Amino acid sequence: MTAVHTTDAAVPTNNSSAPRRAAPGGAPRRRGSTFDRLLPYLLLAPALVAILWLIGWPVLSVLVTSFRKLNLRELTRGEVVWTGLDNYTEILGDPAFWVIAVRTVVFTALVVLVSVLAGLLIALLMRQISTGVRIVLQVAMLLAWAMPLLAATTVYQWIFDQQYGILNKTLVKVGFDSFAGYSWFSTGTSTLAVTGLLIVWQAIPFLAFSLYAGAIGIPKDQYEAAGIDGASTWQTFRAVTWPELKPLLLMVTFLSMLWDFKVFTQIWAMRKGGPDGGSTTLPVYQYLEGISKSHFGVAAAVSVVMVALLALLTVQYLRRLVRSQEGEL
Amino acid sequence: MKGWRGLAVGAAALAVAVAGCGTSSDGGSGNSGEPKTLTVWLMDGSAPTTLTDALNKEFQDAHPGVTVKYEVQKWNGIQEKLTTALTSNNPPDVIELGNTQTAKFAAEETLLDLSGDVSGLNGDQWLSGLEDSLTWDGKQYGMPFYAANRTVIYRTDLFEAAGVTAAPKSRDEWISAIEKLKAANAADPEFQPLYLPGQSWYALLSFIWDEGGDVAKPQGSAWAGALDTPQAKAGLEFYKKLVDTSGTKAPKDADEATPQQMEVFATGKVGMMIGLPWELAGAVKANPELKEKTSAFPIPSKTSGKTAPVFLGGSNLAIPAGSKNADLAKEYLKLLSSKKYQDMLAEGGAVPGTSTDTAKLATTPLGKALAESAPNGKVTPTTPSWAAVESGQNPLKDMLTAYLTGAKPLDQASADANTALSKTLGG
Repeated sequence: MTAVHTTDAAVPTNNSSAPRRAAPGGAPRRRGSTFDRLLPYLLLAPALVAILWLIGWPVLSVLVTSFRKLNLRELTRGEVVWTGLDNYTEILGDPAFWVIAVRTVVFTALVVLVSVLAGLLIALLMRQISTGVRIVLQVAMLLAWAMPLLAATTVYQWIFDQQYGILNKTLVKVGFDSFAGYSWFSTGTSTLAVTGLLIVWQAIPFLAFSLYAGAIGIPKDQYEAAGIDGASTWQTFRAVTWPELKPLLLMVTFLSMLWDFKVFTQIWAMRKGGPDGGSTTLPVYQYLEGISKSHFGVAAAVSVVMVALLALLTVQYLRRLVRSQEGEL
Repeated sequence: MKGWRGLAVGAAALAVAVAGCGTSSDGGSGNSGEPKTLTVWLMDGSAPTTLTDALNKEFQDAHPGVTVKYEVQKWNGIQEKLTTALTSNNPPDVIELGNTQTAKFAAEETLLDLSGDVSGLNGDQWLSGLEDSLTWDGKQYGMPFYAANRTVIYRTDLFEAAGVTAAPKSRDEWISAIEKLKAANAADPEFQPLYLPGQSWYALLSFIWDEGGDVAKPQGSAWAGALDTPQAKAGLEFYKKLVDTSGTKAPKDADEATPQQMEVFATGKVGMMIGLPWELAGAVKANPELKEKTSAFPIPSKTSGKTAPVFLGGSNLAIPAGSKNADLAKEYLKLLSSKKYQDMLAEGGAVPGTSTDTAKLATTPLGKALAESAPNGKVTPTTPSWAAVESGQNPLKDMLTAYLTGAKPLDQASADANTALSKTLGG
């Protein structure tokens, strides 16, 4: 996205500076015009170099690393061992990798769906309620948002704790005796469910605030007009709210997909991707390969595959984004 | 936006690798008399400051012009820090490595081969468990520093009240002690005779070794899991027997660190725990009343009168292969291996690595139990990939939880864990 902004900025600079300089000058026109043409690029150069260095270089080095055998030995001795596509054949040929990849995609999809939906509902709710209640809700969400990831994870671990967890205690009190000593972390699916709930909880504030900002921007008279026309609540939503919120909704969905796909902290802190690797997602797999086993080359290959997979998932949005930019220009 | 963890790791790895390529131009200039700095990294809480102060002073006095730069490192994240440090142009000269991590660094040839210096470092008195952990391919890549092992820490007052007169000397006596404690405190629903969380896998190692089994066996150049052997299963069964007899309320899906078992012990509602010396110290700190009411005995064997083999936790000292002051570093290790400093280690409550004299350690009941069981100490498989078992997803923990909660029958739990372990050790 940064690159897109840069092009945006470049175009007006180019257009406006050229005529301004050309008008008063007269004699050194030729030299001046070459210089003038180059000037914007020269001015942009420092920023461009910084961006390439900060973003381009790491991307390139991951690509390069993914074709190398880079374990602790090679790392400490500075050896460069090229292995071609070995790292890729190793991970893509591992059936466990595909299980993890599918699990990651399904997990991401579910978490994104639930969090965006919940965020949207809360955003719409906030428009309906009185100011006092809304401020309380907003402060509560702000606090949830401000909570450090690991602190929140610890709290969730305690809530779902087998012996001392408040959830099991409450369920037993309410009458579900079978939940006494129930283990919420006994299978990968239930562990991921708890982790997913935590991630949704953490994601809702941002989504709700963003969508609320979009929702209050919709002119009131459109709703009045809809009311006069006798539209039902659902029809009003379909005809007025939805078209206005759709671009924003697309953007936050896209962002959520990026964020949720690469979630590592909460999953690792919850049960280290266990039990039996049942809640291992791609970022966890990458950590196990790269940090635990010190196979940095393989881990780099996993990153490349992850980027490819993510690009595949978000291709629709990216296309739309590129097309709309072209339209504007 | 593409700030992926993997990118960062890859980038960092590459940056480090590039830095590692740099030539060390000023290495090897051995002019004596030139001021030199010997950088020593020891770990948090390993050697008492009285020892290090005296050691560094004596070393500096004996080597004029040499300054010892002594730095204390934190255990948390040490593997990553060492990886970075060992790849740098100017690594520290002496480092302390956890004994289960040593093989990983030795196998990658990042440490100096000390085979030729063993005898000068008191080699005939090295603690065998630690020596195993630093030996790779028949060569010694370090010197044992100190060790500690788990013992059964118990409440003397509760034992007396329950009519248990002597510390258990066999598994059967241990079980009956648990039963007596349970009966004597039946009125208190919060009471646990033995606190044993489901994933205390170092304790499990003891039971498996006691049965004659092992975690993994060398198979050619690689290691293969041995968790599906009858011996390993017998060890697991005994673990379950302890958990069931005690009726411990400890979580079955967590290890002894969540919650810290010493804190549970400090509540006073626990009769025994299988723990390390510092855990008793922590419990006493939280509840000073326990100071006079606690003691320890070695983990009993199934053979009456013997102690079960224990996992020897501890540290080795090593010299990075890139050290520019390797000779000075060897001198430093030599001084540290002398009896004077080994006695100071023992006094501090640890089993010394290069001295068989544990008289200074055996002055407390806990020290006595430590000294009794340490010679029977063993270590986890000496293979570079073991570090990945501990820092990644530990199959032993999954196995224990699955078996204890009844999620899987014994045979399946051990077979699954064995497959996972073999896979991690193989790669």
